[in-house]
Amino acid sequence: MAKQGSGSILQFAPLQSSVDEGFWHRLSSLKLNKFGIDDSPIPISGFYAPCSHPQVSNHLTLLAESLPSDSNDESTMPPVIRGNRNRCSVPGILYNTNTMEGFHALYKQGLLKAEAMKIWEDIHSGKAVEDCAVLSRVLLISFADLKKWNFHYWFAFPALALDPSATLVDLRPASQWFTLEEAESVSAACNEWRNSSVTADVPFFLVSIDSDSHAAVKHLKDLEACQRDGQKLLFAFYDPCHLPNNPGWPLRNFLALISARWNLKTVRFLCYRENRGFADLNLSLVGEALITVQQGWREQQCVPNAVGWELNKGRKVPRCINLAKSMDPTRLAISAADLNLKLMRWRALPSLNLEILFSLKCLLLGAGTLGCQVARMLMAWGVRKITLLDNGRVAMSNPLRQSLYTLDDCLNGGDFKATAAVRSLQRIFPAVEAEGIVMAIPMPGHPVSSQEEKSVLEDCKRLNDLIDSHDVIFLLTDTRESRWLPTLLFANSNKITITAALGFDSFLVMRHGPGPFNSIPNLKAETENSLAAGMDNLALTNTDGQHRLGCYFCNDVVAPTDSTSNRTLDQQCTVTRPGLAPIASALAVELLVGILHHPNGIFAEAEIANSSSGGNFELPLGILPHQIRGSLPHFQQMTLLGHSSNSCTACCSTVVSEYRKRGMQFILQAINHPTYLEDVTGLTELMRSANSFQLDWDDDIEVADDECVEL
Amino acid sequence: MMDVLHWDGTLSAKDFRIGAFAFAQKWESCNLAFPPWSWLPCPKHPWLAPPKEEGYLSLEKICISRPNEEEDIDQISQIDTGEEETCCSGNEDVLDDATLVQSNHHELHYCDFQIVYSSTFRVPVLYFRAYCSDGRPLPLDEIEKELPACSSKELSKKKWTFITQEEHPYLKRPWYKLHPCGTAEWMKLLFLSDNANPKFEVVLELYLLSWFSVVGQVFGLRLSFKISD
Repeated sequence: MAKQGSGSILQFAPLQSSVDEGFWHRLSSLKLNKFGIDDSPIPISGFYAPCSHPQVSNHLTLLAESLPSDSNDESTMPPVIRGNRNRCSVPGILYNTNTMEGFHALYKQGLLKAEAMKIWEDIHSGKAVEDCAVLSRVLLISFADLKKWNFHYWFAFPALALDPSATLVDLRPASQWFTLEEAESVSAACNEWRNSSVTADVPFFLVSIDSDSHAAVKHLKDLEACQRDGQKLLFAFYDPCHLPNNPGWPLRNFLALISARWNLKTVRFLCYRENRGFADLNLSLVGEALITVQQGWREQQCVPNAVGWELNKGRKVPRCINLAKSMDPTRLAISAADLNLKLMRWRALPSLNLEILFSLKCLLLGAGTLGCQVARMLMAWGVRKITLLDNGRVAMSNPLRQSLYTLDDCLNGGDFKATAAVRSLQRIFPAVEAEGIVMAIPMPGHPVSSQEEKSVLEDCKRLNDLIDSHDVIFLLTDTRESRWLPTLLFANSNKITITAALGFDSFLVMRHGPGPFNSIPNLKAETENSLAAGMDNLALTNTDGQHRLGCYFCNDVVAPTDSTSNRTLDQQCTVTRPGLAPIASALAVELLVGILHHPNGIFAEAEIANSSSGGNFELPLGILPHQIRGSLPHFQQMTLLGHSSNSCTACCSTVVSEYRKRGMQFILQAINHPTYLEDVTGLTELMRSANSFQLDWDDDIEVADDECVEL
Repeated sequence: MMDVLHWDGTLSAKDFRIGAFAFAQKWESCNLAFPPWSWLPCPKHPWLAPPKEEGYLSLEKICISRPNEEEDIDQISQIDTGEEETCCSGNEDVLDDATLVQSNHHELHYCDFQIVYSSTFRVPVLYFRAYCSDGRPLPLDEIEKELPACSSKELSKKKWTFITQEEHPYLKRPWYKLHPCGTAEWMKLLFLSDNANPKFEVVLELYLLSWFSVVGQVFGLRLSFKISD
């Protein structure tokens, strides 16, 4: 398609920028490790290549290699870039500011003029003829926000404006301008130029054609020789643009050179473009431009105007790119953690419900040996919302057994465990939403004075609110009494409660059964069979309570009360074998995950591990026991079942309904009167009658289907 | 001389290199629609013994899309547009009539591929990343929009199409990859399902071709020649 000599202004297609992600990575690294707040300009190199596709222009690209090296053993010298046929290097400069305001305050016209000046000087000194790569330059201004990983940037490709602008006499595909023979020869000569490593990245050259239609490609410095020979001469350049009616940007400075240095008025040019690595003379263009600048324009001291700021979708605004996903360490940690869990789901457990784990809110009562381990295990399972409650301070002996603390937490009297634990969790995984609460749990049988009553009631209320606002509660304290109030509050709600308790060399992990007054909405969806089996026993007002799974205190009631054989649970054990806490904590968390994946949740019936179950489980995570008791001396672990007791001091219907009726007054009474609870539940009566029997208890607990003894 | 029947589907590092060159050669000769793969040596660390010619195959800037003009993934707009007012004051451009004003802003999406050897799994792994023409990286959910419709089904179904984002072993930046933990299994199946009992040298030469014919389907990169011969 020919554009005839209408004298229209020659319009150039602007260069377009493309920045590889690696460039920003390296810039960040340089900024953080080498430059700091030094905002001196940084030498860079851009790259471009001739157009290689009929419908897509090539961009001027910045890569990691465009910047100086960020390794410590190399100095900040401008990179010595040896280009290749796909990478013609363009010298340039980067002004990276330290603030957003600094970025906006840069005097852009001044910077552009300074770069244009360099080109102008190179034209007049002859350097541009020797090393024509300097005819193109790239100017980049940027602000790298390394907190949010936003990179604001703006490119300019300095071009010397002809005044007045050049006019276009003719422009057509090269194949239509050359004769067939000439075209063949030109193609061959250009391909040779492109294939030689010496000239492949020389973007401006001359094509001279002799009377035999034989074409030769020459360096710019051979111009005088070519002119003497009087042959057809074209000024050729690598054109990144693909458009059929416009030449690419590099021609602008080329024309400036031709006019200023050789004072030519008529310029025949070749926009060299390729396809699949070879010269494509259909895509390439040959044109003729008319330069009519005034005499003064060519003087060295008279620097032409400079243009070239890149538009952003047609507007004169900078661009911005956010790379948090690939650079922010916290984001990377999150995606790595997610990946791990997803891999587990993909390879081994397709029914794993990760969403429920991500959204779960866990309350850990106790931040000691058990609390620290449980918190870590929860994070490993993808739980992000963890609240730790503990009123103690980190003691010197703690870091060894309580895996979230280090010596630093013990200094100066010791930090509060709850706060130190949260700090530690955040160091391990910054995306965790952890909260620490320094508070004591009111305990029955520990009377309080009337002055303290008010604060104790507040603590009770606070505990109640905490239980309400979480989905799962772990009872991980070191006393039996401190577990009572949470157990009661739980029995009044529908939360998952898991208890872990340690003896010297044995442990107990159990999930509390539902409270006495909980309805079971899920079971309505179940089949009739299970309904028949389950519904009868889980009536709304439960007088019997036999088939409801027990809580920690139910256990106490039904287990033998003989203190010598029951030493594992009742005492305040502060000395335990170190291996116990990690084992018990791990089991507690795995038990939780099992509950979450059971269709009946806390209402799930208890299962016992036995050899006949083999490897086939109904549920992918395996069985869901009620209790796990382990004994280190035996390296043995067993799953047990304990039903609720209707005399339980924490969860029986009497107690729960008293609480519902009288609320905090009931609690206060329990706290202040040591035997109140036993009296209320009739336990006192029960104990009297039980002690009248002589019972023969085995020392070891056998694996049995039903561990509970009915009294 | 390994017996294919007892082969576990994996490759040694040396075999990977041989296989990679065979693959690149065959690709270049038969697959004219695409540029050739380049073999890039692994970056050398001055403090380690020089690696025994370790490297990986790289294929850059494959256009994977041609989105329609309405689609305007404009990350620029999410940053405060107050920029527009502040930055242009006092910085007026010289009036320039020689710059072509282009109205059409076609955003094309490109993909870089790499075939890297995993010494843990002893199989090749396909790494990829996608970006717009201005260099902005594309997240996985946008890449998936470009994939052929049949393959997005495959992605959710098949076990070998698990895409993960991990740090590239040499470039130290996050790239996506097709997770390799099932590769050995299905590579073994691929060769054994053929009734002929091929010699191991043949297996080696065809390993990467066969492997790529499977994983390339995710991106709609179909090889235009038959593998078995």
